[in-house]
Amino acid sequence: MKTTVLLSAARHPVSGREALARLEAQAIALATRLGGDIRGLHAGPESDALREALGVGLSKIDRIDAPNGSDPMEDLASHLRAAGPDLILAGRRGQGGLDSGLLPYRLAERLGLTLVADAIAIEAGSEAGTVRIDQALKKGDRRRVTVRLPVIVTVHPLAPPPAAFAYGAARRGMISTHPVNDPIRQEGQGSEWEERPYRNRPKLMRTASASSGDAAEKLFVDPDPKEAARLILDYLERNGIRQF
Amino acid sequence: MSRTRRDPRNEREAKSVASNTRRRFDLGLVASTSRRPRRDPRAEFASAEVEGRSRRRFDRTQTTAAIARPIAEAPHRRQEEVKPATRIVETPAFLVFAVLEAPKNRLSRFDRQVLGAARMLADAKDGGGAVVALAPAGLEEVGAAGADRILPFADDLALDDASRAAQLRAAMESLEPRHVLFAEDGRSADLARRLAASTGESFLADVVYLTAKQAARRKIGMTAEEFGAPPRLVSIGEDRVAAYAGAPCEARPIEDETHASPAAGSAIVSVETIPGDPASLSLSETDFVVSAGNGVSDFEAFKALAAELSGTPGASRVVCDAGLMPRGAQVGASGTVLAADCYLALGIAGAPQHLQGVAACEHVIAVNTDLHAAMVERAGLAIIQDAQRVMPALRELLEERRNAS
Repeated sequence: MKTTVLLSAARHPVSGREALARLEAQAIALATRLGGDIRGLHAGPESDALREALGVGLSKIDRIDAPNGSDPMEDLASHLRAAGPDLILAGRRGQGGLDSGLLPYRLAERLGLTLVADAIAIEAGSEAGTVRIDQALKKGDRRRVTVRLPVIVTVHPLAPPPAAFAYGAARRGMISTHPVNDPIRQEGQGSEWEERPYRNRPKLMRTASASSGDAAEKLFVDPDPKEAARLILDYLERNGIRQF
Repeated sequence: MSRTRRDPRNEREAKSVASNTRRRFDLGLVASTSRRPRRDPRAEFASAEVEGRSRRRFDRTQTTAAIARPIAEAPHRRQEEVKPATRIVETPAFLVFAVLEAPKNRLSRFDRQVLGAARMLADAKDGGGAVVALAPAGLEEVGAAGADRILPFADDLALDDASRAAQLRAAMESLEPRHVLFAEDGRSADLARRLAASTGESFLADVVYLTAKQAARRKIGMTAEEFGAPPRLVSIGEDRVAAYAGAPCEARPIEDETHASPAAGSAIVSVETIPGDPASLSLSETDFVVSAGNGVSDFEAFKALAAELSGTPGASRVVCDAGLMPRGAQVGASGTVLAADCYLALGIAGAPQHLQGVAACEHVIAVNTDLHAAMVERAGLAIIQDAQRVMPALRELLEERRNAS
C-alpha cells in the first residue's frame, strides 16, 4: 500500500523555530503501523521540520519547491494525481499557513476522493483494498468506518503518540525536491481578508450554570443516607446525565 | 477663534425644571455635541455581572459580551422577575443558520454560544433577521437559547458525513441564509469544512472575535490574524461569544421541502458506532466523573460505585498522594482539567486548585460533612452527610432500581 503523509510548515509554539506538528508526527506513526511504502509530501521552502519528520519514521520526503506563502493546493493535487497513493494522511489542522484545516477537504474535492476526519486508528480491512478507520467522536464515542481505497484521512489528537526522534534516521532520510509546475501562477494566497498581528483575546469565564437555583432546593443538611442517594440519582436523571 | 464662546448662565437656564417650590435644575441633561452615544458606566458594569451567584461576581474580560448583550437588558437583582414575553419574528428579513450538535438531545454550553452568536448577527443594525437552529427534532431549550425557527437536522451517527453535508447544502440553497454558524468542534467543524470545500463559499474557521461588523481568526501559527466582515460560513471557537440571555424566542418548527439526494459513489463500505466505556475513558474525555476525596476511606466500594453509576473514577490530590488512587485519576490544576458535564464529589472540600479542575463542569454534586466547604458552595446539589454512609445507600438504591426495571 502506498501512503503519503502531508507535512505543513509548523513552528514550535514557544520558541517559534521550525518544528514538526505533533498531529503530523502522529500521522506518521499511524502510517508506520499500517506498513507499506510511506512518503512525506511538503510544498514550500526547505525546513528543519522535514528532517524531524525523517527522524520520527519517514524515510523519503518529496518537497515541492513552492515559494513561501503561496497556495499549495494545485501543486499538491497534481503531485498526488501523478503519484497515486492509496492513503493520504494529514493532521486535522495544518500549521504555518492559513491554519484553517481546509486543505484536506479541498484536496478531496479536487481529486474526487472520500475524506474521513478525526482518525485515531487505521487498520487494513478484511477485504483487499479497504481500510478500517476508527474516528474519535465526542465523549469517548468511536465510529468504525470501513472505506475503499484511495482515501484522505485527517488525524485526531487522541491518536497514539508519535515515535521517539532518532537522529540517525533523520540523517539517513532522503528529501527529493520537485520544481513547481506553473511558476507564473505562484502569486501568493490571494486572501480576501485583511491581516494584522495577532493579539490574544480573553475567553469567556466558565461559571456555574444559571440553573443553580436558591439554597432551599440545592442544599440538604443531614438528610438520611437513603434520602441523599435518592436526591443524587434524581438530580442525575433530571439533568440527563444518566438514566437508571 | 473657531470655537464659540460658552454662556454658562444660559446653559444653566436651559436645564431648569418647572417647579412651584424651589428652582430645580436637571444637571444630568446634557446636549452632547458629539454624535457618539454617551457611555453609561453603571449599566456596563451591571451587564458584566455573572448571574446565578450568591456573591456578586463580575466578568471584566469580555468586550464581545458587552456588545452582544444590549446594555438595557442588564440583570437588575433587586427588580422582581417578570417573565418576559416570547419574541416573535413573523416575516424575517434574512435568516441565520446555527448548526447545533446537541449531544444526548440537550443543548451544550457551546451550542448556546453558537445560538448567541447567531442571535447577535440576526439582530445587528436594523435587525429583523431570524435564527434558524439546525438541530435534532424535539429539542426543547432552543427557544430560550435564542432560536426563532427550528429545522430538523438529524445528528445521526450512522449517517456518513458527506451526505449530512449534502443535506445542509440543500437547505442552504432553498432557504438562502445570510450566515451559517458552526461550532469549531467535532462533527460541526468537519461539516463546515465539507461545505466550504464543496460550495467554494468564503469561510472563516475558528473565529476568536465576532461582532456583526467584524470577525477575526488566527493564522500562521498564531502570529497573525485575518479579519473582515463575517462571511457566509463561520465556525466559532469555544468560549468566544456569549450565549443569548434575552427574552425567549418562539422556536417554530419549519420544514425544508427539498430533499438532498444521498451522496452518490461514496467509498464508505460500512459504519459502526462504538459507545465510549466510561470505566476505561481518560478523565479529559469523559462526560461524568465520580470523584473521591479525603472523606472516603473504602476505595473498593468507591470504585464499585463509580462502575455502577457508569462514571469515570477521579480523585483529589490528597487521595492520589496517599497512593489510594492512581496519579492519572487526579482532578485539578496539577492533574486533569475536566471537560465533563457532571462531577460527583464524594468527601471533597474543594481546594482552589481542585475547583480549577472542575470549572468547566456544568453540574456539580457535593457530598461532604462540612457545610462551609468551597465545594458545597460550587455545587448545584449539596448534601451535608458523610460520604462513607451515602455510598452504600447509593449502591443499594441503584440495585433496587435495576431490579425494578
